Amino acid sequence: MNEVIAGLSNGFAVVLQPMNFLYVLIGCFSGTLVGALPGIGPINGVAILLPIAYSAGLPPESALILLAGIYYGAEYGGRISSILLNVPGDAGAVFTTLDGNPMAKNGEAGRALSLSAVSSFIGGTIAVVLMSLCGPLLASVAVKFNPSDYVALMVFAFASLSSLIGKNPVKTLLGAVIGLMISTIGIDANTGVPRFTFGIPDILAGIDFLVIVIGLFGMAELFTLVERQVTGTLKVLPIGKSFVSFKDLAAVKWIILRSSLIGFFIGVLPGTGASVASAVAYGTEKRLAGQTGYKFGTGDIRGLAAPEAANNGAAGGAMVPMLTLGIPGSGTTAILLGALLLFNVTPGPLMFVNRPEIAWGLIASMYIGNIALLVINLPLVGLFARMLAIPQKFLTPLIAVLSFIGVYSVVSNPFDLYMIIGLGLFGWILRKLNFSLAPVILGVVLGHLFEVNIRRALSISGGDWSILLSSYTSIILYVLAILIVIVPAMMKWKSKRKNEDKTVGITS
Amino acid sequence: MADRISGLIALLVCIIYGFIAFTIIEAPFQYDPLGPESWPQILSVVAIFCCLYIILLPDNDKFKAAKVAIIRLVVVSILLSGYAYLFEPAGFIISTALVCGFFSRLLGSTVKECVLFGLATGVLGYTLCVILLDLNLPEGLLSSIL
Repeated sequence: MNEVIAGLSNGFAVVLQPMNFLYVLIGCFSGTLVGALPGIGPINGVAILLPIAYSAGLPPESALILLAGIYYGAEYGGRISSILLNVPGDAGAVFTTLDGNPMAKNGEAGRALSLSAVSSFIGGTIAVVLMSLCGPLLASVAVKFNPSDYVALMVFAFASLSSLIGKNPVKTLLGAVIGLMISTIGIDANTGVPRFTFGIPDILAGIDFLVIVIGLFGMAELFTLVERQVTGTLKVLPIGKSFVSFKDLAAVKWIILRSSLIGFFIGVLPGTGASVASAVAYGTEKRLAGQTGYKFGTGDIRGLAAPEAANNGAAGGAMVPMLTLGIPGSGTTAILLGALLLFNVTPGPLMFVNRPEIAWGLIASMYIGNIALLVINLPLVGLFARMLAIPQKFLTPLIAVLSFIGVYSVVSNPFDLYMIIGLGLFGWILRKLNFSLAPVILGVVLGHLFEVNIRRALSISGGDWSILLSSYTSIILYVLAILIVIVPAMMKWKSKRKNEDKTVGITS
Repeated sequence: MADRISGLIALLVCIIYGFIAFTIIEAPFQYDPLGPESWPQILSVVAIFCCLYIILLPDNDKFKAAKVAIIRLVVVSILLSGYAYLFEPAGFIISTALVCGFFSRLLGSTVKECVLFGLATGVLGYTLCVILLDLNLPEGLLSSIL
């Protein structure tokens, strides 16, 4: 406990430096702005803004505070386009549209926006408090991990990823393996042997992480927008004068609390981010509502508060494994992890010891960011709503320009500009085929770590594979990995059989 | 069908990847028990099994994309490749103005709008990124003025 307090005061000392404080505000503001753009979710927003934040020449802790602000802000801003336009920015925001948009249609957009801002704030705050309590604890356990435990942890991460994201687990697994394969391109650091470079000098050092992120997220998003080509302006519902009342808050206080906790714990699981969390929270609340559950989906405040609290709870939860284990909890935190690596900071248990100013600065910045977001969002929501009126014909080219600026200012190699176009098309095709792209980026980020740990473990044992099962920690992790694959599959199979029984009953 | 075809293409890529991993990659000395080739070998085997599963049990029948949309995507890809080609030699301002102009025209803005939009993005983008944020962007043809 003392450690937590000391760490936090250390962190607040970093964040409350005037410049860093300013970066928190800028990050939150620009994140909300990008998140509010129709169709652009947090992951695309962070992907597009990351290189710009990176090459602006800030010290690592300031740049990360800025990026975390963007991440948080984008999670916040996403709800604006969900509620006012019925266009979710990402899979996590789909559940916000279900009740948020009907409320806006009933003329209660202001109430919906302010209620969701408060739920997001509570969700985010609970997550960050839990994070400051569990983070150091988890880190102190993880410090004792040896390479074979890390291998087990990776296996667990990929197992939970493929079992919980997307409809088809095999496709998710293939996506992750594709990511791992991409990360093997380039010179092998141990032996100096080039792998899969086909003699192209530009990829000898591997494909730059930023290039992959911008290609798969920024550019693929652009191609999706071009394909759909929403002409003209989407109809933005008016915000109106309604506002959240204390009665509303009193009615949903337990829902917000429950959903925040659900969100946080699902967020902590490696690989599963806001989308799974908001789905589970929405489903749980609908079931708990019992007889009045039929109102969900018609503009019920309970159906709006639950996914929003869970969303932001998960956004905080996903940071925990990223900071303490070096394994990101979601696609967006995978990008943040890549950003840490760009700054030569290796996330993981030792970060709390070696670079406390970064680890604790980041956590403290999230406390401040949460408050700042609430303060920015309640009065300025009208300004952000105006972003929705930017016609697609201007927005789409701007994404291209931002992506090009990002790549060029970091790598300064025209070859990589072609590369992002190619990766963008590749990402677009994958999305068309129902692959989600988050596993791919997790594979890219974790590929190196995974391989290094396997090779280290086998170097220790002299090539004996049984070392992978030598400690209790790793055995427990493998058992958990098997459980997390089997249990959801069994549940799906059971509910399917139940449904089949029902239909049989009706027809006979 | 879409899943089967894409699965087959992915399978082919994975087989080539696996072939390279199993035959070509080799370290001159054995530094560690696994060497540079084992990890890609494991990956290729896992990937091939995934591809086979998708080919045998596809769940996505159609690749839904209108012909118009595909043509638009091809045009946009060419336009962006042109952007990549011009980016360094012509400089940020000129290439961005041109590409943004054409791009927004393609997406249905009027000639006047797209000229204004192109110029504004080029000039404002440069000012914002280079002067305010101190980023590195090519000057190109305008290097004598800037």
